[in-house]
Amino acid sequence: MENFVKKYSYHLEKVLSFAVCYYYTSQAQMTNQVSPVEEQEKLLDEALNIVKVQAFQMKRCLDKSKLMDALKHASTMLGELRTSLLSPKSYYELYMAITDELRHLELYLLEEFQKGRKVADLYELVQYAGNIVPRLYLLITVGLVYIKTNTNLRRDLLKDLVEMCRGVQHPLRGLFLRNYLLQCTRNVLPDTTEAQNDSEGTVRDAIDFVLMNFAEMNKLWVRMQHQGHSRDKERRERERSELRILVGTNLVRLSQLESVTVEDYGRLVLPGILEQVVSCRDAIAQEYLMECIIQVFPDEFHLANLQPFLKSCAELQPGVNIKNIIIALIERLASYSQRNEGNVNLSVVLEDGKEQEVQLFEVFSDQVAAITQSRSDMAPEDMLSLQLALLKLAQRCHPDKLNYVDRVLAHTDKICADIHHNSGKPHLEHNTPVFKELMKILKLPADHYKNILTLIRLQNYAPLISHLNHQGRVMIAVHLVNDVLETDTMISNPEDVESVLSMLDVLVKDQPEQLASESDVEDFNEEQGLLARLIHHFISDSADQQYLILSAARKALQSGGARRIQHTFPPILFHAYQLAFIYKDLKDQDEMWEKKCQKIFQFCHQTISMLVKAELAELPLRLYLQGALAISEIGFANHETIAYEYLSQAFSLYEDEISDSKAQLAAITLIIATFEQINCFGAENAEPMRTQCALAASKLLKKPDQSRAVALCAHLFWKGAKDGKQWPLNDASRALDCLKKGARVAQQCMDGGVQAQLLAELLGRYALLRERGNASLTTNLIDAVIQKIREELANLDQSEEVEQITKHFHNTLQHLKNRMECPDPDGLGYEGLVLS
Amino acid sequence: MASRKKVLLKVIILGDSGVGKTSLMNQFVNKKFTNQYKATIGADFLTKEVIVDDRIVTMQIWDTAGQERFQSLGVAFYRGADCCVLVFDVTAPNTFKSLESWRDEFLIQASPRDPDNFPFVILGNKVDLENRAVSAKRAQQWCQSKNDIPYFETSAKEAVNVELAFQTIARNALAQETEAELYNEFPDQIKLNANDNGRNRDGDNCAC
Repeated sequence: MENFVKKYSYHLEKVLSFAVCYYYTSQAQMTNQVSPVEEQEKLLDEALNIVKVQAFQMKRCLDKSKLMDALKHASTMLGELRTSLLSPKSYYELYMAITDELRHLELYLLEEFQKGRKVADLYELVQYAGNIVPRLYLLITVGLVYIKTNTNLRRDLLKDLVEMCRGVQHPLRGLFLRNYLLQCTRNVLPDTTEAQNDSEGTVRDAIDFVLMNFAEMNKLWVRMQHQGHSRDKERRERERSELRILVGTNLVRLSQLESVTVEDYGRLVLPGILEQVVSCRDAIAQEYLMECIIQVFPDEFHLANLQPFLKSCAELQPGVNIKNIIIALIERLASYSQRNEGNVNLSVVLEDGKEQEVQLFEVFSDQVAAITQSRSDMAPEDMLSLQLALLKLAQRCHPDKLNYVDRVLAHTDKICADIHHNSGKPHLEHNTPVFKELMKILKLPADHYKNILTLIRLQNYAPLISHLNHQGRVMIAVHLVNDVLETDTMISNPEDVESVLSMLDVLVKDQPEQLASESDVEDFNEEQGLLARLIHHFISDSADQQYLILSAARKALQSGGARRIQHTFPPILFHAYQLAFIYKDLKDQDEMWEKKCQKIFQFCHQTISMLVKAELAELPLRLYLQGALAISEIGFANHETIAYEYLSQAFSLYEDEISDSKAQLAAITLIIATFEQINCFGAENAEPMRTQCALAASKLLKKPDQSRAVALCAHLFWKGAKDGKQWPLNDASRALDCLKKGARVAQQCMDGGVQAQLLAELLGRYALLRERGNASLTTNLIDAVIQKIREELANLDQSEEVEQITKHFHNTLQHLKNRMECPDPDGLGYEGLVLS
Repeated sequence: MASRKKVLLKVIILGDSGVGKTSLMNQFVNKKFTNQYKATIGADFLTKEVIVDDRIVTMQIWDTAGQERFQSLGVAFYRGADCCVLVFDVTAPNTFKSLESWRDEFLIQASPRDPDNFPFVILGNKVDLENRAVSAKRAQQWCQSKNDIPYFETSAKEAVNVELAFQTIARNALAQETEAELYNEFPDQIKLNANDNGRNRDGDNCAC
């Protein structure tokens, strides 16, 4: 056994001569087309059958201890692996079936050896197998048994085996043979830093062994690319991609060596791998192997060797998708750093040889910048993807460092500017790859922080949005607003309000390049609705601050034009009215409260006038009325005059701007109702207002509208007692006049049904005002209305409408009956009324 | 006859990426654990001798890549398995949900003779972690619904139940193997001239 190394050189010669011989035949075979699928299945089945038969014979011989015969069958079985006809996947199946059987041989030999029944010169013996493929498989199997039973042979045998495998230069066969070597030696590789004796070897030998096997396998794998016809390129690349795990397994094996320290990795392992990867100049191999390195070695190893790894990235072939490699590394280290709560010790060696602590982000940021610069062919979307990965890293690993995020955004801004420069267009076109990447970059911090207040602290966030086209900017703005609503974030100072609205610029005002046809009305209204909801989140605990917030909001929003302010001003106004009530509550603490209320209503007045100037009418009319109600209720100094101003403004809008008859009725109804609710007016202000209303009511175009509005005016002249006190301006007879006039107009209607309907409504109003104490509405008058309704109803044909009116009428009668039976002690009753 | 022979049991470990397949195997075979994550590429095995009912058997335990992209050559190594171990991470519900598809995939690809009674074992790994998300009850219910698959809660890190689980795996695999041998005593046909050139093969005529 001792002289096997000597013999080895002889065998190597022999092997080399085989290799040369093999080379010529394999050239001939390589031109063979791999057969179509059925052909493959047939070939594989045939081969598997032979394997089955031979394996059976082999095991039977082993049972009978006929080793030489068993080896012969094993060799025949292994001969099947000499085929050139199988695709990688079929060959893998065959390989699996055969190596499964070889394990029986291995177990047998191991048992024999352990029992001391050593077969002399077995290692040499198997080398007389006729063909090189079976010969080397057997050699590896036997070599393994030798190593397992005598560790002193380990070092030399490993070296011998990895050298001998050079004898097979056919890529597919060579890759699988070496994979077998790698598999068999898995648990016997020396994995100690110091060996008990030299011949056992140390981890250093294991590293050399695997690196050598790796280099050889990689060469075989790369060579595949350059063999055969160019028309088969696609198939060849597919097959290469299938075979890649065999090459990658070498790296797995290196990562499994436990005594390899971080230093060993940086000094021996990584340089060994990278040298092979870079020098093979094959894009497929480079991309896969770099990713493999990232996946199979632990985080600590990567952290300590970031620079050499990233530097090698810059040296890869132009066709390599570096982006994927860097992103894979960033993501891996980012999750590691996150798992360790950011406690990642990272140091780099500076040019002067000193070590310096650095942040993970800094290293990647620098290297990414260097790589993007050196690779001018990199697609702009890939540059953006890299920035996206950096952004993730910054957010996950350095949550306290907002400036890192900002730095990435600034870089992104520059990349976008370059894209515009090259394309000659001012914005990124919708749904292009760069557009999609930028969208992701913008959404990432939004979804990460879930706080628009953080986003406005990022100097480069808002400017970045402007690189998108109009539609894209709207998408981002809507996304941001929805986030605020969802998280219920409050924006509580005027500066933040300004920043937020400026970030949402696209929703706030028309854009220069915006086409009218670009957005449909429904979408537009929905967006403005969102903006309006956002305004409800502009809230401060301090009342004075709140006022400033509202001013800031109005200032930002007023340039939005009629289409927008009709959505955005109402929430500002309601906020302002609410604020006035807050000052009312604060009257004991803030002696300026009345002045402040006046200022607020001045602000509101201006705000509403802007809506009027934007040629809106119905909306400002209602907002004036709402304001008048608030003013009257808060009752600060001079409030009567201001309330009158609001109400009269509403009335002017009614007179000047509202022409549609339906809208007129609705508006006058609201004005009357508002006046009825306001109690602050003295005669001087009340008189013109109620006279004007009554006049306006009587001037309505349609008789039914006129009748209803005039009847409603009765409320302007008679209000119920409040806190036990009568309204000083009550005027019983003018209230009666209104009702009488309402009845008269009703009777002018041609349609009997309409007449009955109006009279039935009128009866209700009579009853209401009588119960509120107006004695001039006598029971006789009420009775007359009842009789009149009955008359009208009798003349009508049955219909659903008439049924409704009848029911309304009977309900009112039932009410009167109830009141007669159990009269309200404070109100007027219905004495003398007879209900038949 | 079978009892005299040395028995080799093939066991396949499957499950999503990161559930701890490699760690479980390493704990069982080498009694070692590391927190470092190293992805597995392709499929690789370790062997270990165990004693089942006074018999020495060699377990060949195949550790596989959970990520599909690391199985570019397909799963030919499923063939001839005697037991299949499905692993999930008790803190990651998705990995539990994947068990079904791992099991189906195995049965399709390995095509065992009697798929209904093929031995599976389920391991819910990482029970040492606090953020558990799949309850033992839920896992057990699923195992019961699949023809009473044995279920173990393990921690490769703290060596909880690992030995016990692999004992069960070995025992069930051995039962399967013994049964398989009854069918497998003879191959389909025995050609007396095994080295014949009956096939029109395109091999080399060169002596090497």
